[in-house]
Amino acid sequence: MTDEVSRPPQLHRIVPVGEDGLLVEFAAEISPTINRAVRRLSTALEQSGLTGVLEIVPAYRSLLVSFDSRLVELSPLRAAITAIAETLEDQPLPPSRLFRLPTVYGGSYGPDLDHVCNASGLAADEVIDLFSRQRFPVCCLGFLCCLAYLGGVPHPLQLPRRATPRLRVPAGAVGIANAQAVVLPIELPSGFHYLGRTFVSLYDPQQFPPTPIRPGDVVEFPAVSAEAAQEWTGQFPGVCDVDRISNSGPGLADDHSG
Amino acid sequence: MLTGFRILDPGWQTTIQDEGRPRLRRFGIPCSGALDQFSLQVSNLLVGNRPGAAGLETVLQGLCLEAVGSVIVAVTGGDLSAEWNGQPAPLWTSFRMASGDRLRFRCHQNGCRACVALRGGVAAPQYLGSCSTFARGGMWRNLQRGDLLPANDPAPLSPWSQMRSLAPALRPRPTSDYRVRVIIGPHQDRFTHDGLHTFLTARYRISSRSDRQGFRTEGPPVATTHGSDIISDPTPVGSVQVPGDGQPIILLRDGQTTGGYARIAAVISSDLDQFGRMMPADTVRFESVSREAALDAAARRRRLLRYLTAAFAD
Repeated sequence: MTDEVSRPPQLHRIVPVGEDGLLVEFAAEISPTINRAVRRLSTALEQSGLTGVLEIVPAYRSLLVSFDSRLVELSPLRAAITAIAETLEDQPLPPSRLFRLPTVYGGSYGPDLDHVCNASGLAADEVIDLFSRQRFPVCCLGFLCCLAYLGGVPHPLQLPRRATPRLRVPAGAVGIANAQAVVLPIELPSGFHYLGRTFVSLYDPQQFPPTPIRPGDVVEFPAVSAEAAQEWTGQFPGVCDVDRISNSGPGLADDHSG
Repeated sequence: MLTGFRILDPGWQTTIQDEGRPRLRRFGIPCSGALDQFSLQVSNLLVGNRPGAAGLETVLQGLCLEAVGSVIVAVTGGDLSAEWNGQPAPLWTSFRMASGDRLRFRCHQNGCRACVALRGGVAAPQYLGSCSTFARGGMWRNLQRGDLLPANDPAPLSPWSQMRSLAPALRPRPTSDYRVRVIIGPHQDRFTHDGLHTFLTARYRISSRSDRQGFRTEGPPVATTHGSDIISDPTPVGSVQVPGDGQPIILLRDGQTTGGYARIAAVISSDLDQFGRMMPADTVRFESVSREAALDAAARRRRLLRYLTAAFAD
């Protein structure tokens, strides 16, 4: 991909949300280039310490800037964000870390493995091999309890969501829908297809930050036995190979298609 | 000596809530906190606490608690037929309960939730800087029979301090037909002209499938131009999202921080408290206002709170 040498993505628009928010949008697509621009802008805004800005919430292709309207007016803030967005080329990002979450696949741990095999035409071994070798970039955190939105599901495994969502899927379940993968931080309803389960904890409200994972990191789900997976019960995942993964280089964050 | 409350019956649902845990949405952590912040703030001021101190939020009916030691309390919010030792308890007014006195919420008259403040504030474990219960996220749990809730050490009452009461004119008026002001956007271009018109003129019924995460409504469907799915983006508290069935959902204080449905409007901050009062089957109409009008309303609310903070100070 050539996005690193071409001009970074332009802002699509900045629109007010409610009385004290600005939604800053890039192009409406799920792409590593766009998401990197979002993270760059988010980092730049955090570092610029704009007066009156209370919080910056980055997502896939947009970020929400909430502010105290007693301290800053809307138009100067909008102008400041636009100006900062012009300088993103030089904006460094925090280092990308690799997290390995030991995962047990199939059976009661991955109730949709058979369905994914049927839909993709692959054998169970092939699905597990393909999925467990993949590195999934963390696009953003959100929904509830630090749910990490992961991109990069390989093409043969890209399936539409289940027609009928499950009402209860346990914490640690690892699932896919379209190009997205998730690993659930708590029990949630979900329409994703679940391939396996990890017992690593990804969320602890007694810690700050409440999850070790941040946007721009990379996650792997290596296949292990149920016994080995359960040894991790309740533990935060370790960081692997911080230096091996670079945000500026090619690869990783780029091999996830929208 | 320990003073506080013992829960004899948690009723339909009772949780500890305070002003919430703002500014964690980038982690996917909702702010939580009392749905009706005005009632929480006033209840605290009435007993001499800071406005955002931790108190109880109880829903509908059934909560019964007992004073442990002598405690000063205030009940605000909806009228849930609170009884103090079998007699009607004063509302929006502080009073002293003697050890063993009982406070019971018999049945709802109007409004859906009440706040109970305890002088000193309810001592409870903090998660990410707040005592607000968010049971789903492992941040404490709904209260249970037998729970003992101690007060933080309250400041001693000054000899000239007295019981306090909020002027009736300042109390939210009971209704079952709400008018909620919204600012249109950010995805208004995803709705047809008729869809926007429907949203701003129809009455929507509050669904029984409504909770602290979000209020679902039932009414004429809001028409979209090309479906309601968007690439998930941040959903602040008060977002009015419209899923495929066209029935607006208002995201509240336990609501998700990101969502994939187009959002037609945002409820202005000073009208969010109203969702803490609405009952299933109540109706709501949405009125579009300018950002300036929303800022004026927010400023008026802050002035009132500043005035009450001064008026009720020890």
